[in-house]
Amino acid sequence: MYYLGVDVGSVSTDIVLLDKSLNVVEELYLKTKGRPIQVIQESFKILKSKYDDKQITASGVTGSGRNIASFLIGADAVKNEITAHAVAALNIDKEVSTIIEIGGQDSKIIILRDGIVIDFAMNTVCAAGTGSFLDRQAERLEIPIEEFGDYALRAKSTVRIAGRCAVFAESDMIHKQQLGYKQEDIIKGLCEALVRNYLNNVAKGKEIIQKVFFQGGVAANKGMKAAFENALGFEVCVPAHYNMMGAIGAAILASEAVKKDEGTKFRGFNIAQSNIIASSFECDGCPNRCEVIKLEENGIIIGCFGDRCGKHSGKIAV
Amino acid sequence: MKITFPHLGNVYFAAKALFDELGIEYVVPPLSNKEALEIGTLYSPEEICLPFKIMIGNYIKSIENGADTIIITGSCGPCRFGEYCELQMNILKKLNKNVDFIVMDVPSDIGIKEIFNRVGKISSNSSKSKKEKIKALVKALKIINMIDEIEADAHYIAGYEKNSGDSKRLLNKCKRDAINSKSADEMINILSEYKRKINFIEIDKERKPLKIAIIGEIYTIIEPFSNLYIEDKLMDYGVSSKRTLSPSWWVKNTALSPLKINSLDIKKASKRYLSLCIGGHARECVGEAVIAKNEGFDGAIQIFPMGCMPEIVSKAILPTVSKDLNIPIMSLIVDEMTGEAGYITRIEAFIDLLERRRKSVLFRS
Repeated sequence: MYYLGVDVGSVSTDIVLLDKSLNVVEELYLKTKGRPIQVIQESFKILKSKYDDKQITASGVTGSGRNIASFLIGADAVKNEITAHAVAALNIDKEVSTIIEIGGQDSKIIILRDGIVIDFAMNTVCAAGTGSFLDRQAERLEIPIEEFGDYALRAKSTVRIAGRCAVFAESDMIHKQQLGYKQEDIIKGLCEALVRNYLNNVAKGKEIIQKVFFQGGVAANKGMKAAFENALGFEVCVPAHYNMMGAIGAAILASEAVKKDEGTKFRGFNIAQSNIIASSFECDGCPNRCEVIKLEENGIIIGCFGDRCGKHSGKIAV
Repeated sequence: MKITFPHLGNVYFAAKALFDELGIEYVVPPLSNKEALEIGTLYSPEEICLPFKIMIGNYIKSIENGADTIIITGSCGPCRFGEYCELQMNILKKLNKNVDFIVMDVPSDIGIKEIFNRVGKISSNSSKSKKEKIKALVKALKIINMIDEIEADAHYIAGYEKNSGDSKRLLNKCKRDAINSKSADEMINILSEYKRKINFIEIDKERKPLKIAIIGEIYTIIEPFSNLYIEDKLMDYGVSSKRTLSPSWWVKNTALSPLKINSLDIKKASKRYLSLCIGGHARECVGEAVIAKNEGFDGAIQIFPMGCMPEIVSKAILPTVSKDLNIPIMSLIVDEMTGEAGYITRIEAFIDLLERRRKSVLFRS
């Protein structure tokens, strides 16, 4: 009896198995690398060796790739990341009032009161301050991303970095590094700039009160955690499975969904061996010219989406 | 003279009927799509707002189809829209497109004489009598009112329909039939027929759907391509939505504005938060948020193009409105992105939030 949760994010694909009492028994963290289908197949190959299809009683998906994933694995719950993250956090601690979630492409703030999401916000048109930007800077400085936060903690002083725009932040960093500032200080400056940007942009006008959870891939960065605590003036809590929270939430939502429906729609781990091809074409049926995505498994179409009218996905109104 | 115009929601229905009646040649640009956006971003100033870019795309497609005269509305208000016509003329000139611009504006800004002069430029191409011309205009106004009403009804009924998709299907069919009509009268008949039909959609009165008001910058809430078809999405989710701003609202508002009796309810509602016109429809946006609460809506979604000055101001005011009146308001900023994943996430999460606030958790997949 396990609940499967899959979070297909922009940077990583996270998969968890929860037992009956919603404890994490298995977690997989793989880089998406722009190939969500292959990554899911890969991870299923790993799971297949340990578990049996029948053991999975519910499956849920979330993340920006949840659509494609739901067709692929047969999901009982397909939910957005915000709800998934909130559900997972509430499962750990009912008292959580603020969730700071920074992922690969998105940063979010979720405000909860008495166990209910009452407000949320996401970054708008700018992706500055998200995980992929930190990734890129770590790569540029040839520092493993895992150690990036430690560098920030070692800093003796801070160098101010402009955090409003990722492109300008990078130029600013390069200019300061060319002037001879220490790498540690620049990295600390970057963390502070990102936190400043987050609080002033995503969290603008939101009341951040304790208890604060910091989750998403970026929560691994100790420098970011310290910068948040420094700016907020109180402790920020990073849950044990901080980078799996979306997947955990999806699994919990799935467990609730199967209670209402009968049985799971889970298609089994065997899709790992299937030949899955996703192709896209531009529909010329009307001036909307939708980009339709077609998902084929061993030559049989298992799903179409991306069309606005439902001509191909065939689900709603034409 | 072959006239064209930029798209703004349902305006093309009325424009088609008007020019059909007047016997003036015209080109309806293909509905705004990625191609229009691509062309627009190629030629427009990089920092300009999204509507400008899509409009340039509309013009170029129409010019390819033989249009030589562009009609747009002008504005001498404090928002960038006031500069659209001049900048657009300049851009098309640089591209060696030999087109005339006819900019329609209110008498208080350009004088009544100039209005007659500009209207004359269009109507002198029609061989119809003065009486027939006025009749044509009346019919066009009737059409824009009818199609906007049908659309508003469909958006609202979507929350109550028994068979999901009924109202969306009817609305889409209505638009397809109406645009294929041969004359204004035929179009009016078709629209009357659909106005009747929409009342026959089976509804479940017991249902208490979520109700969301769409507020914000006028172009991006009216032109569906620019907001990634948010109203269609809300219909799919079974949410009732309402949008006050529409082409027919604009006509009425503009006509009444010289007498200062336009949108009195909105002005009254916004007074506490924003009592001045600061350009664009910022005051309307704030007022509509207040009205949405008074009318029992569950939430409001504000949409505006990146860099829109008036809406940035209202975005800063809305959290206070939201807190004072206890109504969730989400702001969505649209730009050139056509990837919908992040956008859908926000809408779904907002719907989840509203549902959970009602303490009845519904699972939709």
